[in-house]
Amino acid sequence: MTAARIGLPTALMHSYYRSFWKPFFEELGLEVIETGPTTKAILNKGIRYSVPEICAPMKIYTGHVLELLDQGVDWIYIPRFVSIRKGDVFCPKFLGLPDMLKHTIPDLTSKMVTHHLNVKHENIACMKEYLEIGKLFTSNYRKIKNAVQTGRKKWLEFRKYCVLERYNCQTANGKVFTGKPALQSDLPIKIGVIGYVYNVYDDILGMDIISRLYKLGANTVTFEMLEQGEIDRQLRGYKKRLFWAFSNKLLASAHQFFRDATIDGIIHVTAFGCGPDSFLGKILEINFSQSPKPFMTVRVDEHTGESHLQTRVEAFIDMIAKSKNFKE
Amino acid sequence: MKTYLGIDVGSVSTNIIALNEASEVLSSKYIRTNGQPMECIKNAMKEIARDLQNLEVAGVGTTGSGRQLAGIITGADIIKNEITAHATAAIHFYPDTRTIFEIGGQDSKIILIKNGMIVDFAMNTVCAAGTGSFLDHQAERLKVPIEQFGELALTSTKDTRIAGRCTVFAESDMIAKQQFGFSKGDIIKGLCEALVRNYINNLGRGKTLTPPYLFQGGVAANVGIIAAFKKELRHEIIIPRYYNVMGAIGAALLAKDYLEKNGYQTRFSGFEITDVNFVPKTFDCNGCPNACEVIEVTREDTVIARWGDKCGKWTNEISYSPPGYLTEAACS
Ligand code: SF4
Ligand code: SF4
Repeated sequence: MTAARIGLPTALMHSYYRSFWKPFFEELGLEVIETGPTTKAILNKGIRYSVPEICAPMKIYTGHVLELLDQGVDWIYIPRFVSIRKGDVFCPKFLGLPDMLKHTIPDLTSKMVTHHLNVKHENIACMKEYLEIGKLFTSNYRKIKNAVQTGRKKWLEFRKYCVLERYNCQTANGKVFTGKPALQSDLPIKIGVIGYVYNVYDDILGMDIISRLYKLGANTVTFEMLEQGEIDRQLRGYKKRLFWAFSNKLLASAHQFFRDATIDGIIHVTAFGCGPDSFLGKILEINFSQSPKPFMTVRVDEHTGESHLQTRVEAFIDMIAKSKNFKE
Repeated sequence: MKTYLGIDVGSVSTNIIALNEASEVLSSKYIRTNGQPMECIKNAMKEIARDLQNLEVAGVGTTGSGRQLAGIITGADIIKNEITAHATAAIHFYPDTRTIFEIGGQDSKIILIKNGMIVDFAMNTVCAAGTGSFLDHQAERLKVPIEQFGELALTSTKDTRIAGRCTVFAESDMIAKQQFGFSKGDIIKGLCEALVRNYINNLGRGKTLTPPYLFQGGVAANVGIIAAFKKELRHEIIIPRYYNVMGAIGAALLAKDYLEKNGYQTRFSGFEITDVNFVPKTFDCNGCPNACEVIEVTREDTVIARWGDKCGKWTNEISYSPPGYLTEAACS
């Protein structure tokens, strides 16, 4: 008997939780199909099925789901992220994601595997949430428990690379799955990049901004490198935090990056039409407009041209390089 | 005579200037690109060669959205983004400047300067409402030659507020105002003010704009816009003598500086290139679902450069690497 195939759309939170999901489903005896980096073909599929006003990351996710349907997988895992920290929730688009997809893609309903993810910690690998998913594929409780544990171990390994060895989401996945170490060299400039993983590491939206910066002589740091305790510490000064889990992580990382004297400049990568980021952007503007540290917002969507991004990134690095030479 | 060339290739205009060793402008050309950047570059180079006798090119810099292409065919020593280039020229002529407004045909920028260095910038390439193309379009609609557009604005003594968050609104509001019997002068004045207001609100958001103000780019020829700037800022603004070719001047200055600092010789391909047949073309790669649009330039049947591919499958085959610059820079 060949194993049933379950598809994981390689978009939205996938890169952050891949190291849990993939081994988890594999331990359950399923074959895991991933869609890989977003291509123009995937994007176009997504655009065709999405309402025009929705943010680009959601269009891209839709494209990946359609791609999996075209590949004829048996199941597609589409969790409903509700919360990963007490008091924080996810952006409403995440809350409605499974319903939105069911209504836009009628063929999906019978294949969709979904559940609420409503936990108190960003480590989502727990029996409370994944027992019901496991039960869809096996009646063996120990097998499910074992799958969760295997996945959890991998995910913790992933987080360890991020937090202790300063890997970013993409390079940490590379390290966990293929053992490939991250490119690291002593570059003269260090840039803090603030952005959701599905913007920064998406081939179409982020346009490889991390390697662009690298080629221009800049290392980067990102929010994944901070652990939750550090995030909460950075936000202690707020009477009221933002509502959204990852927006809070970004806000905290901004505080950390502005404080860290070794960081030369900060780039905020955001998607057009992102509700949470319009709050985040305003807060950054209010809190840091007096800071001497260079700050730039790069707003991207599915139409953004590469030359626009390249020009701005180049000018940003030129500006920093020049003022650094001047100081030395 | 030693000369440095600066070339700024935009989608609306292509500008070439020649500097002498003292960084003075010897000659400048401003030509409409008309979708023919290659021809434009060649023609402007021919004109420069005709203008200046016994000139010896000691360095070339390119900038603008077509900088990659221009750099490849001329053998540029440096290929720079237009923000750095514009600021370099502005600081060269006005070392004390603090704020640069640049409005060109296809995009607009605000660059903030402190101690002769860029400290912040914003750039708009998405929306046409704050650019020269928008003004051209409106001039056409009102049947006023663009050259007289600015002067007409000055004839109006009324305050006409055109709602202009975006082109579409501005246009419908304009039509309404026309029907109410406002004169063309009133409407153009209102339009200039709307453009400046939006430009400052959008690009200057959250930034402190400090004088001395510099206004450059093709639109700086428009006296109506200049008046609107003065009104909005309640302050004088400086229009540099070479306002419409500042990007090209910056590119030449950067090339000169780069070569002098490193003691390199120029890689300039010579004026012969104006007789060489360069053919740019694009094709869609079908190697994977990315379907990249690859741009290829051939010189007399040999491919000299390719870019635009995501994976490097096409670029890697040819190695063109100007010193001090990365070939990876996208230019699409
Ligand atoms: S946080 Fe922003 S980008 Fe992310 S799903 Fe919500 S609206 Fe879209
Ligand atoms: S150039 Fe490379 S990435 Fe682009 S379509 Fe061809 S194979 Fe794919």
